[in-house]
Amino acid sequence: MTRDLDIAVVGGGAFGTTLASLLAETGRKVVLWVREEGLARAIHRRHVNDRYLPGVRLPRGLRATSDLHGLVPRAPVVLIVVPSEYFRGVARAVGEVLEGDQVLVHATKGIEVATFRRMSEVLREETCALKVGVLSGPNLSGEIMAGKPAGAVIASRYDEVVAAVQALFNGSRLRTYGGRDVVGVEVGGAFKNIIALAAGAVDALGMGDNAKALLLTRGLGEMARFGAALGADVVTFLGLAGLGDLLATCASPLSRNHRFGERLAAGETPERIKADMTSVAEGVPTTAAVYRQAVALGLDLHIVRAVHAVLYEGWTVPDALAWLQSNPAGHDVEALRFR
Amino acid sequence: MTPEDRDRVEVEVVHRVMERLGRDPASVERALFDTLYEERRRLETDLAATPAEAAFYDRLHAEAVRAGPDRQREALREVVWAFTREVSGRFDPTVYWLATKVVPPALDLLLNTMSPIRLLGSFPGGARLDDQVHVTGEVERLKALARAGTIVMTPTHTSNLDSILVAYAIFRMGLPPFTYGAGRNLFSNKPIGFFMHHLGAYQVDRRKKADVYKDVLKTYAGCTIEAGRHNLFFPGGTRSRSGAVERRLKMGLLGMGLDAYIHNLQAGRPRPDVFVVPVTINYQLVLEAETLIEDHLKETGRSRYIIEDDEFSRPRRILDFLNKLLSLHSSVHIVVGRPLDVFGNEVDAEGRSLDPRGRPVDRTRYVLSGGRPAFDRQRDEEYTRELAAAVVASFHRDTVSKSVNLASDVVFRLLRERNPGLDLYRLLRTGGAEPSFPLTDVYARLEDTLARLRDLAAKGLLRLDETLARGDPVAILGEALAHLGSYHRRPAMVRRGDRLFHEDRNLLLYYGNRLAGHAAMGGLVRP
Repeated sequence: MTRDLDIAVVGGGAFGTTLASLLAETGRKVVLWVREEGLARAIHRRHVNDRYLPGVRLPRGLRATSDLHGLVPRAPVVLIVVPSEYFRGVARAVGEVLEGDQVLVHATKGIEVATFRRMSEVLREETCALKVGVLSGPNLSGEIMAGKPAGAVIASRYDEVVAAVQALFNGSRLRTYGGRDVVGVEVGGAFKNIIALAAGAVDALGMGDNAKALLLTRGLGEMARFGAALGADVVTFLGLAGLGDLLATCASPLSRNHRFGERLAAGETPERIKADMTSVAEGVPTTAAVYRQAVALGLDLHIVRAVHAVLYEGWTVPDALAWLQSNPAGHDVEALRFR
Repeated sequence: MTPEDRDRVEVEVVHRVMERLGRDPASVERALFDTLYEERRRLETDLAATPAEAAFYDRLHAEAVRAGPDRQREALREVVWAFTREVSGRFDPTVYWLATKVVPPALDLLLNTMSPIRLLGSFPGGARLDDQVHVTGEVERLKALARAGTIVMTPTHTSNLDSILVAYAIFRMGLPPFTYGAGRNLFSNKPIGFFMHHLGAYQVDRRKKADVYKDVLKTYAGCTIEAGRHNLFFPGGTRSRSGAVERRLKMGLLGMGLDAYIHNLQAGRPRPDVFVVPVTINYQLVLEAETLIEDHLKETGRSRYIIEDDEFSRPRRILDFLNKLLSLHSSVHIVVGRPLDVFGNEVDAEGRSLDPRGRPVDRTRYVLSGGRPAFDRQRDEEYTRELAAAVVASFHRDTVSKSVNLASDVVFRLLRERNPGLDLYRLLRTGGAEPSFPLTDVYARLEDTLARLRDLAAKGLLRLDETLARGDPVAILGEALAHLGSYHRRPAMVRRGDRLFHEDRNLLLYYGNRLAGHAAMGGLVRP
């Protein structure tokens, strides 16, 4: 099989379509895989993705297919962008046809709840790929599709993966920085969704910029402590996949997790909100996974604890915020120092 | 391997080492003088050094000081040649081929030279080492792959006896001898040196500190793999001092399999494949346990010294040890792990690499660059890291725990718990508050840990020997006490009435670490 494409993007949700569009705009030979044939046809022929990016005109060069096994062998680089709950199934299907020379990258911000596997670990378990990487950062689809610039980090233990992905996005609106710390980038991308849920609630209750900054800073600290316990480099969390993504996600009402938090603050139950949201708010399952893992690691993460209480233990948002404020304050950054 | 093959390997080793050293006059000069410095320093204290060696280095040094870049490079080449001949020259191809036929007598020779009469007289019921070395695991797959490609066998390392037992296991499986590097001190025991030599060992001199020498050794291993000779080395580098199974491996030698594989693909050789086969060697008692744990405690976290004189250099001690093993009907379990490719994927009996889901993988594709097999240093280092992780996982999965490990772990944990806050070294020396524990406490703990071990074994995360798999706590403790009370200078623990006395806590720490340091048991090596 000849690799006649530059890249295959697997997953036609909002972010997958956005990344594929960016690449198509700069002249890359890219094909997007979409599970549903109808949607694939709409993207391919009419250049619209009404389900996930309503009202957005997609570039003419963007092609789409629903034939995964036909698509994957054609690309030297395969980028998977599907919600974490479907990730393993899609990875396994990709693994049916993927070969060892291909670069396999994902841009999914989440953790597999049942196993606490990071997405790159799932890729290793389900495919023969060794050259794997993760793309992450403050990348809200709506802004990118509106023509605004953004930045991301591509992290891999393999220089070849970093170079390949940087070359693909070279000249596009997405400035792509390189990194080595796969664990840190994956933890950052997943963890910030928990903080975004809390930020949505704090915004909705009008608690002000001081409180918001307090939440984000302490949240970043919890993220870094959690990541370090899993083997990440603390410094990674100062980068685009840590602080960068946290700032964007928590500031923007465009974020699904932020909206979810707002509605929690308005007194809606998690079940109800889930029932009428079309896209998945990754922060909800991530909170369950991270909370359980933090307990297992002996880490005391207050914000995670509070969000978990609201999502899974029937607490109200005001109760959880009151509990957070009742905790002794302790040191500011001491827990982040290397032990 | 014919003498022509050997010559070709030598030429290739020198060529590659010189290529890596490059042509830049400054770096050639640095490499040359570093090497001369290290070697002349070694000669000052090395009792085995010959006057010829000293003269060689004195001459090179005198010349090199005044020489220009070209002559310095030639001098460096002379040193590289000397190193290469020394490493390869110990390997006699005629003997190598004969070895296949000569091995059984050689083993007898090994045992008999030391003390034939005592040996024969003291084995009750005519027991033979043969009956007590069990080789299990993926033996058939290994044999099939040894025909399809070149094997790199990577065993765990706890004792100097490992070399002999693995060589013996290789012979018993009907495989041709493997090439392997063995420390110079191992050759100081004449009969054993002879035996190892005949099984394909080449001599590694750990006193030679020069980087160039290490590069020659590594390259030699790589070139012999390319020449299709099965290789063996201990990827942990040295014997485990703590008693725990290795968790960190030396990447340099491990990477030579991949290096050879890419060279083979580039050269279009007919049997390019290199298969890595992890092996675990599991003893109840370890010959050098006392020396090893002492070294571990002395040097925890620091660089270790080379143990020049241990139990292994005293033939009587070895004989005594073997005798004890035989009279206790103590088995040595050698487990052949699942073969891997040089990227860490499992390989089936047909030589196909499999992905984690068991689907066949075309492994040549991992090293393609622009459609051709190519080296990529950064990528290849990562591949070797993947391989190392797979080898370590295999080590832990195939470690066979035994009664001595379990009993030592249980008693040592009791010691720590009953003496909270007591510094480890003081605990080891003084034994803490109580010199003994009630047997009932020990049995209760033993049962708990045994249940956990059996659960882990059922999940395939580790292995248990017969006694641990089926025995009851009384039988297990009985067997452990019989072993611990028989060979070492003093018993590690002793039963008196209804209490268990801990006597040599270093040994308890050492044997217990095999369990405590196991990945599935939390992986905490003490201290």
